[in-house]
Amino acid sequence: MVDALYEIHRVLAPGGIIVDARPDSRVLAYAERRKTRGFQLFGVVNTSRTELRNDQASDLAIARVVRERLFKRTRRGRLWHRVPFASLAELRQYLWEHLRFVRRAKWIVDEATRKRYSDDQFVIRRAVRYELLEARRARDCDQPAPITR
Amino acid sequence: MSRGATSPFGDIGRHVPALSFALRPSPNDELREWGGEPLVRGKRVLDVGCGDGRFALAVAPVASSVDGLDPDAEAIATARKTARKAGVRNARFAVGAAQQLPYSDRAFDVVILSWTL
Repeated sequence: MVDALYEIHRVLAPGGIIVDARPDSRVLAYAERRKTRGFQLFGVVNTSRTELRNDQASDLAIARVVRERLFKRTRRGRLWHRVPFASLAELRQYLWEHLRFVRRAKWIVDEATRKRYSDDQFVIRRAVRYELLEARRARDCDQPAPITR
Repeated sequence: MSRGATSPFGDIGRHVPALSFALRPSPNDELREWGGEPLVRGKRVLDVGCGDGRFALAVAPVASSVDGLDPDAEAIATARKTARKAGVRNARFAVGAAQQLPYSDRAFDVVILSWTL
């Protein structure tokens, strides 16, 4: 990942912007039933261990190029979005096949409730984080980074 | 980045099912959060890990030029086809990996890593 960021720094004009956006594994995702008005929380969904490790590696790579003064952080934020499913079975199928999440949600409603509404529309609500970084000029990069302990 | 396509770049970017492109926020929603059109207006934009070009094609109307790069040849073929159908003339797509960008120094003003790192 660091190699990719070095390459990106090479092709970016000084002052150019890199946008890093990806699912936010630091917060839970939620399985919700769509109601006439709003949504009903049915369960929570954790990120898989593999993806957590990948995200941590990405964070470390970003931190490294910032420490090396190739980029400086300018802005960050988070947005939530909903992935729609036609039924509870479809949501479960998605969790089973999608590598980002663990394969089963932790349900907070009982089995009878899940069965009763299994044909309703469901969503997974999850967070996406983003960060904007500015490419520093080569002259800035030549200056040694301050020593931090 | 579908699983079945062959790629000279091995397994890079291959662990995410192709379905994932349809399950992301819309490009316009993401762009709005990042700062809106001013971020890309009149800029030379590179979308690394562009997949089927969903984001690159969304910003093409306001950007000066857009380049999309992805290790998945199948996804790049889809992106080119979609661009052709939509009459987008300032977008180009290439097969490649982020570790070896086939572009000259300082060629871009904005690089987008949307669900790529």
